[in-house]
Amino acid sequence: MVQNKTFSGRLGKVIIYTIVILLGLICLLPLWNIVAISFSSSEAVAANAVGLTPVNFTTKAYMMIMEDGQFWRSFSISIQRVVLSLIINMILIVLMAYPLSKSKRNFRGRNIYMNLIIFAMLFNGGMIPTYLVVKNLDLLNTIWSLVLPGAVQIFSIILVMNFFIGVPKSLEEAAIMDGANPWQVLFKVYIPISLPALATVALFSIVGNWNDFFSGLIYMTKVSNYPLMTYIQSLSIDIQDMLKAGANSSQLENIMEVSNRNLNAAKIVISTIPLLLIYPILQKYFITGIVVGSVKE
Amino acid sequence: MKRNSLFKRITMLSMASIMTFSLVACVEKEPSNAADSVSENGEKVIKMGRVTSANPKLPEGDTYEDNAYTRLVEEKLGAKIENAFEGEGEDYTRQVALAISSGELPDMMRVDSREELKELVENDLIADLTDVYDKNASDYIKGIYDSYDGRSLEDASFDGRLMAIPATIGDEAPNMIWIRKDWTEKLGLEIDRDGDRLITLDELEKTAKAFIENDPGETGNPIGIPLAYWLNSGSYGGSALNMTSIAGIFNAYPRFWLEDENGNITNGSITEGTKQALGVLSDWYKEGILDPQFGTRTWDDIMALITNGQTGIVTGPWHIPDWGLSTVREMDKNAVFEAYALEDPNGKVNVAHTNPTGAFIVVRKDYEHPELAIEILNLFYDELANSKDLATDYPEVAEYKELGVDGSTRPFNIEVLKSDNLLFDYSNIMGAVNGEIEMEEIASSEARDAATSIMKYNENPAGADTADWSKYHSRVKGMGLIDKLTKEDKFNWVTPVYFGNTETLEKKGANLLKLEEEDFIKIVTGARPLDYFDTFVSNWKSQGGDEIIAEIEAILAEEE
Amino acid sequence: MKPIEHANTSVELIKQKKKGRKLTKIEASYHLMLLPGMIFLFIFSYIPMFGIIMAFQDYIPAKGMLGSEFVGFEHFVYMFSLPDIGQIFSNTIVIALGKIVLGTLMAIIFSILLNEVRLKLLKKSIQTVVYLPHFLSWVVLASVVVNMFNLDGTVNQILTYLGFEKLNFLGSNKLFQPLIIGTDVWKEFGFNSIVYLAAITAIDPGLHEAASIDGASWWKRVWHITLPGMLPIILLLAILSLPNILNAGFDQIYNLYSPMVYETGDILDTYVYRIGLLGREYSFGTAVGLFKSLIGLILILSANNAAKKYTDRKLF
Repeated sequence: MVQNKTFSGRLGKVIIYTIVILLGLICLLPLWNIVAISFSSSEAVAANAVGLTPVNFTTKAYMMIMEDGQFWRSFSISIQRVVLSLIINMILIVLMAYPLSKSKRNFRGRNIYMNLIIFAMLFNGGMIPTYLVVKNLDLLNTIWSLVLPGAVQIFSIILVMNFFIGVPKSLEEAAIMDGANPWQVLFKVYIPISLPALATVALFSIVGNWNDFFSGLIYMTKVSNYPLMTYIQSLSIDIQDMLKAGANSSQLENIMEVSNRNLNAAKIVISTIPLLLIYPILQKYFITGIVVGSVKE
Repeated sequence: MKRNSLFKRITMLSMASIMTFSLVACVEKEPSNAADSVSENGEKVIKMGRVTSANPKLPEGDTYEDNAYTRLVEEKLGAKIENAFEGEGEDYTRQVALAISSGELPDMMRVDSREELKELVENDLIADLTDVYDKNASDYIKGIYDSYDGRSLEDASFDGRLMAIPATIGDEAPNMIWIRKDWTEKLGLEIDRDGDRLITLDELEKTAKAFIENDPGETGNPIGIPLAYWLNSGSYGGSALNMTSIAGIFNAYPRFWLEDENGNITNGSITEGTKQALGVLSDWYKEGILDPQFGTRTWDDIMALITNGQTGIVTGPWHIPDWGLSTVREMDKNAVFEAYALEDPNGKVNVAHTNPTGAFIVVRKDYEHPELAIEILNLFYDELANSKDLATDYPEVAEYKELGVDGSTRPFNIEVLKSDNLLFDYSNIMGAVNGEIEMEEIASSEARDAATSIMKYNENPAGADTADWSKYHSRVKGMGLIDKLTKEDKFNWVTPVYFGNTETLEKKGANLLKLEEEDFIKIVTGARPLDYFDTFVSNWKSQGGDEIIAEIEAILAEEE
Repeated sequence: MKPIEHANTSVELIKQKKKGRKLTKIEASYHLMLLPGMIFLFIFSYIPMFGIIMAFQDYIPAKGMLGSEFVGFEHFVYMFSLPDIGQIFSNTIVIALGKIVLGTLMAIIFSILLNEVRLKLLKKSIQTVVYLPHFLSWVVLASVVVNMFNLDGTVNQILTYLGFEKLNFLGSNKLFQPLIIGTDVWKEFGFNSIVYLAAITAIDPGLHEAASIDGASWWKRVWHITLPGMLPIILLLAILSLPNILNAGFDQIYNLYSPMVYETGDILDTYVYRIGLLGREYSFGTAVGLFKSLIGLILILSANNAAKKYTDRKLF
């Protein structure tokens, strides 16, 4: 809070606001450019003629997308995935962060769990073994193949665990004296206090699941089952790779029709809109100012 | 305590690893497929791996699994197609690898390289098709493969047994020079006085200079000749914005494996001719004829130069107007291109044959109905291809042609065409356009469509559709050039000795490519003098090139 | 002295032993809470780890893991004997470090500044706008970056207007790494600042009030209250990003590089990718992945121990 009404105080305020607005602008402009591209004609885009305003305004790209049934199928698959993942992620995060935030004295074995989790964060077997596991569980081509492998979000667990560690012990002790068991302490004391942290990891979960395109590529064998980002990615062929590999003319023709830049731009705009809506919804959780002291062990 | 917890950790980890390692056997099954090759109606079932395309233009309700073509297979052959997996490009290759590693191959699928084919053969995963092919393939199909001098079937054979159905690729050479004709006319430039559609390097340079000086595109920032930073590709079909034609003048064929005068194997990228071609490019760069941003300009940006009129010279294959130049017409209704070939000092155009085999269709080892593969081959690449009256015989397919549905929706996403198919199509198209033959005589619907487009364009060039403009350019100008040069015997064909991978090529090929791309750019932009090429050659050889050449020689010796 | 000590320690031991025997009810709850997550981890993280064998095999899909030839450390030897491997590692680490350090700095600075903004509407909209570039893939952003930074692009237009010479960002080995680091920082700072903002809101406003009553200037308050309050999170994120020291950003570099800048722009992942295009890369890719994981493990453990030593606190 820059409360001083002195000149340097006001100047400071002006400087801060200017910097912040400038930063906001340089983040906004490229997206603005993409929106402009999505409303321009394809030749104008091919000629690099589009800046911040559409050239030869046309909604052709959006019309093409509206008519593409698969786009909307994939959209709903992604929504399902995000919702299911969010629920599972948050439950597991909260359930795991709490015991891990206890010290070794109160919870023997805590370090073993911690080590196992860190190890799992660093090492993984790769695409083929994970695919084999998913396949053998008969999860291919189901929504669960997109949700279950990523059920445990280790980074988020560590984050929330650290927030939990910072919760004053006095609160917990008071609850225990009132006869609360660990489950009640977790749900009635820790969670309400940690809303900023929880909102943060909820955001991470939503964003991560929405943006991931690779899982769809390996666990879904049919295009009709692709989530949205996988579908978009499958349409955005890099024409350079095709040429280097040697493609025939009708292939190239067809690719140019769907992989052109203004269509891609429109797809990106549409697929970003849900994310734009999420942040304002979660924002109120970021503003709680309940005291969590600085942290020392 | 410390020792205790370390011990604990080790025990835990070992137990965990023992458990997980023992699961390897459970998870990796033996290749097994339940005997569900018969569906409920008693139809035969084919589980296929399908290579799809991003824009199939299927009518509403049809999918890759259920469309006019799959229904045709059901109707004529009594077999139902189910897709085991679908994908495109890298995604498809990945799905194939995943399917193989889990031990569940589809009944039929496409593989895109001889290496993958070899892997399947060596591990006894696919069926021997020799007898089934001999017995069931139609004469026409056999004729198609024969037109490649046996190279096609050889590519698909191991120890004399045919293990796959090869896809064919016809030659698409040369790498042509497309020049804005409306600009040359506007500036009164005389190119190709003798009208043989051959121009010399000199004429090309003069044209580029004239374009730069006069800026006929009126953009204020004219660029002479743009080239892609990778400079070369392994095929003529993909040679857009490449230096292939310039290398051809010096009888050089970068990236191809050839036999030199002494009978030794070499790679076109390290030959003297390539050095000379690079010399030309570096001179151009110095003089400003070559794009000053060569090396960093992206593909999209180069296409932008063409579209917005900053440049009027493009190198590329005969079909580049269909997908690469159409936006030029959209931006400028007056744009027309002429296609030329660069001639060497002897008046010849030096070109190399391409790999005649592109992909393969394989059948799983114990599949109950391998003959279905040949029957599908016959149905699509003989009966359908040669049908003179699609609308009556195959109404649904005819409708698909009207809608422009992509060929990838067929069960086998490959082409099987005679080696001279391009010229055959061309003569049919021009025959129809000139009224010498009736449209109905032409079997190929693509050819009929092209002929119709060209006739429409000829009626009204200025006001014609972009699609018609493109077809006119690619067929009349592009194919036409190939036809003319063939008839007038201006081509000097070279046959590369090897296509495909070797052990060292797999390991070190990426690095050699990196070396080539980096060093060629350095030479062209003047960061290194032309003689640095000799250093490049010796580095190329020592960093794996020699090993690869030795391996190729060994493979070729074996095959004799 | 000695006998009493002995007596004390044996009492201690008895007490400890007593604790050691009983699993308290509370602890049982803790184990139960962790159970579902651990099951998931076992199935989807630990079981697939058997695939790490591939790093030591010449894995061919058709042969499977049981049938593929065992080649020991061949892939690692191959990796280290690649002609440019030193350069590639150096590029990877320099770029990754640059991104981590500058990215963190930028996110921290931004979160502190944004926290000072009082106008709610402005604050909310800036926050939303600023975290957007994170969602755009590099495939899309690359064309934007190229448009801005190529020789005819906006940045060079500004430079010539101000009288400077044009800079070849995309083609110069001196400028490519800064370009990569800079554009990535721009893309991610907004999203990264979210965590820091959450940390800032968690700081007791009372501390700030007390300090300003005492006459502390804005800067002093930031330095003595805000930053220390954020320090645990900053350290945590810094340590957690250490395993990424060898992930310099495949998507970004792949879409922006060209042979002209291979020298400083080629990183481990782009190199491995190009190898994969010509040969089957499963084994080699797994070996590289294993190598990265090992480095990550060593770094995280050392950093954690260092944090314990210097800040009196372990992070995990």
